[in-house]
Amino acid sequence: MFSKSIPVILAMLACSAYGQSLNHKIDLPKDSPVGLLSADFGNSNVIARGGANQIEVNASLSLRNSSQKRIRSMTLMVYAQDGAAGGKGSVAVPTLDAAPGETFSIGIKTLLVRPLASGTPAVEVKLDGVLFDDLSFYGPDTLHSQRTMTVWELEAQRDRKYFKNLLETAGADALGKEMLASLARQGDRSRMGVQMVRGRATNVEADRELQFASLDIPESPIELSNGLARVAGNEARAPRFDIRNRSNRTVQHLEIGWLVKGQQGREFQAASVPGDVKLAPNQSGQMTQDATLRFDRPLAIESMSAFVASVEFADGTQWVPSRSAINQPRLRQVVEPSPEEQHLSQIYNKKGLQALIAELKKF
Amino acid sequence: MTRHTSEPDLALYASGDLPVWRKLAAAWHVRGCEECRGLVETFRLDRDGLCASANRLPEDIDWDQLSAEMTANIHVGLAAGECVTPRAPKVEALAWWRPAAAAAGILVLVAGAWWLNVPRSDTETIGRALHDMVTGQRGTVAQTIVQEDRGPMVRSSSAGVELVENGGRLGIEQSGLLPAMYSVSTQGSASARYVDQDTGQVTITAVYVQ
Repeated sequence: MFSKSIPVILAMLACSAYGQSLNHKIDLPKDSPVGLLSADFGNSNVIARGGANQIEVNASLSLRNSSQKRIRSMTLMVYAQDGAAGGKGSVAVPTLDAAPGETFSIGIKTLLVRPLASGTPAVEVKLDGVLFDDLSFYGPDTLHSQRTMTVWELEAQRDRKYFKNLLETAGADALGKEMLASLARQGDRSRMGVQMVRGRATNVEADRELQFASLDIPESPIELSNGLARVAGNEARAPRFDIRNRSNRTVQHLEIGWLVKGQQGREFQAASVPGDVKLAPNQSGQMTQDATLRFDRPLAIESMSAFVASVEFADGTQWVPSRSAINQPRLRQVVEPSPEEQHLSQIYNKKGLQALIAELKKF
Repeated sequence: MTRHTSEPDLALYASGDLPVWRKLAAAWHVRGCEECRGLVETFRLDRDGLCASANRLPEDIDWDQLSAEMTANIHVGLAAGECVTPRAPKVEALAWWRPAAAAAGILVLVAGAWWLNVPRSDTETIGRALHDMVTGQRGTVAQTIVQEDRGPMVRSSSAGVELVENGGRLGIEQSGLLPAMYSVSTQGSASARYVDQDTGQVTITAVYVQ
């Protein structure tokens, strides 16, 4: 009798994991500089598990640059249409470089878990922003994509200029060696899963105050000093910095890179600390973030360092560290390479030096 | 002599079936006790009478048939008794494979139900708690539970980026790729950077707390 009931039970289990079709919508404005050629949501599905819908979105969008300018980068926003709180996601391509009329594709693989009560599962993909080669921007900018993509583009221009200059002054061999060094640094970089929670930590361990070592970049418009954070176990929270605008322009936003070194001696960039400020020339202030950084694995934090990663002025222009600044031995080992440097080094790695030189000559 | 030999012993004494020591004791007593001696004489007369009547049984009795009839009557009686008596359940020894099959079935059932119904984050939390119990790390379990209770959380790891908020989760990854780097921002976002091995195209995924 038992043997007869097994298939029945398994059939019931299989039925409980019923699949649904996914409602999806791609929202591109009528005057969008990119047009949708096709959208394939073929492998997407919705599975009810317990009290929640698990929505798997596996989409491939084929798009075309319908503008008259080269598109350097693009950000798409992905979110559930159920109206329930739960945030947003994005997929961005910072090294796109699509010429007018050129087609390109973007893949989106997203997993959403939503309460069953939140209604029919649906996912919407929206255009959040497009950045052109002249640094002009199009889009609703809900996710502050313009700022992020402008930083990427400035870093790309900086790095391409550096590598092209290296090619011209020191030759192809020097460029090849520089690419190998870049690949080696990328492979050697420490990584650790991190969590970020807004607000106060609840760690029961007694915390201590730990000071940041400021990695000063002389050309930076912002001077960092007296950085502090409270550290307990493998958590660090409430970072605080004294800042001074040493430029002659008003600063409205800056981003600080947060480096952490464990007792094993490995140092890595754990987080970024962005902040909106209003600092007139020579004005000082304090930047505080009410957030907790927590590492996935046990980590005894030995020391912390910080550096100014980018600055936005009141006129909307941005500053990023120069290549000579990030080539300092101290920063070189820990500062993440730009998306463009990763793009170029991968071309060198996969296709060789001539392909890299051809890529550098494009723009 | 105030104490008499018991009647069963006297009956056995009369038939010569008492053990030696009790036989000697009984003989000693009977010799001096007229009453007991009378009883012994009565038992002997009864025994002789029974033997005499047994000798008067017909010579042509078929003992085998009689035995068969008696056996049959006993079986009929037992069968009739079973009809009117509540029957005890048959206890049958279980074959070894039946409990094993039952256990395997239950295991499949529980594993299937777990996989279908329990969210991954819960499984991970329980896994971490069990791991901490086994490894003896104190306080981590409570911290983990509290961690998930204290509001929106973004995380970034080799598995991609994920936002956990209000019982919902939003995770973004890239098919078949591991992130080349990942990070979080104190303003409530997590990002992961992927590099296509063939084209070098970089894709950055991110989640944001609202």
